[in-house]
Amino acid sequence: MSRYVGDVPLDNDPASRYLPWTVGLLVFLATLALAVGMVLSTAGDVWRENLSGTLTVQVSPDAGDETLEMRVNRVIDLLKETPGVDSVQRLSAERIDELMEPWLGSQAGGLDLPMPALIDVSVSDGAEIDIEALAIRLAEAAPGTAVDDHAVWLRRLSAFAGVAETVAFAVIVVILLSAVSTVIFTTRTGLAIHREVVEVLHLMGAQDAYVARQFQRHALRLSGIGAAAGFVAGAAAVQALGFFGAGIGGGLLPDFSLSAWQWGGLVALPVAATLLVVATVGFTVTRTLNRMP
Amino acid sequence: MNGVSEIVRFENVGMRYRLGAEVLHDVSFGLPAGSFHFLTGPSGAGKSSILRLMYLAQRPSRGSVSMFGRDVSTLPRAELAALRRRIGVVFQDFRLLDHLSALDNVALPLRVAGARGDHIREHVAELLRWVGLEGQIDDRPPTLSGGEQQRVAIARAVISRPQILLADEPTGNVDDDIALRLMYLLEELNKIGTTVVVATHNESLIERFRHPRFHIEDGLLTGPHVRPESRP
Repeated sequence: MSRYVGDVPLDNDPASRYLPWTVGLLVFLATLALAVGMVLSTAGDVWRENLSGTLTVQVSPDAGDETLEMRVNRVIDLLKETPGVDSVQRLSAERIDELMEPWLGSQAGGLDLPMPALIDVSVSDGAEIDIEALAIRLAEAAPGTAVDDHAVWLRRLSAFAGVAETVAFAVIVVILLSAVSTVIFTTRTGLAIHREVVEVLHLMGAQDAYVARQFQRHALRLSGIGAAAGFVAGAAAVQALGFFGAGIGGGLLPDFSLSAWQWGGLVALPVAATLLVVATVGFTVTRTLNRMP
Repeated sequence: MNGVSEIVRFENVGMRYRLGAEVLHDVSFGLPAGSFHFLTGPSGAGKSSILRLMYLAQRPSRGSVSMFGRDVSTLPRAELAALRRRIGVVFQDFRLLDHLSALDNVALPLRVAGARGDHIREHVAELLRWVGLEGQIDDRPPTLSGGEQQRVAIARAVISRPQILLADEPTGNVDDDIALRLMYLLEELNKIGTTVVVATHNESLIERFRHPRFHIEDGLLTGPHVRPESRP
């Protein structure tokens, strides 16, 4: 007995031959865009967590008549009295040398350069300090003192991460729209090629949904293959970016490694893309058939 | 004839394709359930248009068409599918699906109606034996002769036991022997209660079987013309 191949012979359609490639490419790009969006989202959270609630106070080494030590002590006293300040800690000379090392090299400590004193200030949760007023008070108490407000960085980083995330998700939306328009074109071509077969089924009493299922089964198989391949390639690219990104180090790039739930989100992408293709095919077929009597 | 026993009723039906000229003008007739009629007329007179209206491939431009007591001129589209399953059609060009075997072609109406696989094969094989194609069950239409293709088309038209069978020039592409066999087949179906309408040019068959005939010319229908010995 010959193998039943479906009522509509869609396997040899030239248009549907490209469907797996198209879906695969779009899923690959969407996987990358989603991964980048997730990485930036995580990086934004980490940046916010690291920077929020802290201030750095810098006391210049050569300002005024008093010694640096005297001015630093006065600044520390003043900071401790400031409402909302949780803790105050002066960075050691070794720690400052470490911070300067990327610019001055490992011999930074031996160069006898006039280094400013740096003071880390932790702000209590929920406390709101008037940074400008504090800076004025500190400068009056110890000339040459400046406050480095991390909130400025925080705002910029948050804005950057937010815009980048939005762009990443906009790219995904554009990719999905491209997939939808490609699928609509492919399905309409298939309907035109098999118009006579579809008409015969229609005249035998086939409901629109029955005819649509023929096209949907075909699309499910082809787009499923394409989506799986596109995801595997995309996931490999994400892993490669993570691997090479980690090699660069130095905190210049965000961490490209994804958490389990983020991988879950990526895995959902080819599934969602396949379902979107199948739903689009069903919608296109029933909408076209609706023009028949 | 206008009563509950009528399976088809046309009332002042006019029809045009898109914006073209009207191809049917004020066509009115009824077909009693279980009847056998010929539909004759020259090419382009409107025979196929009347059949298309009956097998619900078209809606009338004006007037009303009732099938099985329901006015299909205004029936919602979604309800037409169920009515189409009660109609068997033998197309002039058969319209078999070349990529499917004879068995799968004949099984189409059953699959469309949602029948189970084992049920389908059993019934289809039996029907193909009845039309003399037991040896060609797995053959595809392009490998079958014209007469064999026609028998597959007839088997497909009757597999779901339609209440009405419409045949458009069913003897047009076959020799006289096969045409005669086909007519006996249609008579057998008519005897078990199927209403049959055959559109044909074949005067010798009309003369031989002497069923009442409708005649259409330039979109105007006359009849039924009943012969003295005809069987309604």
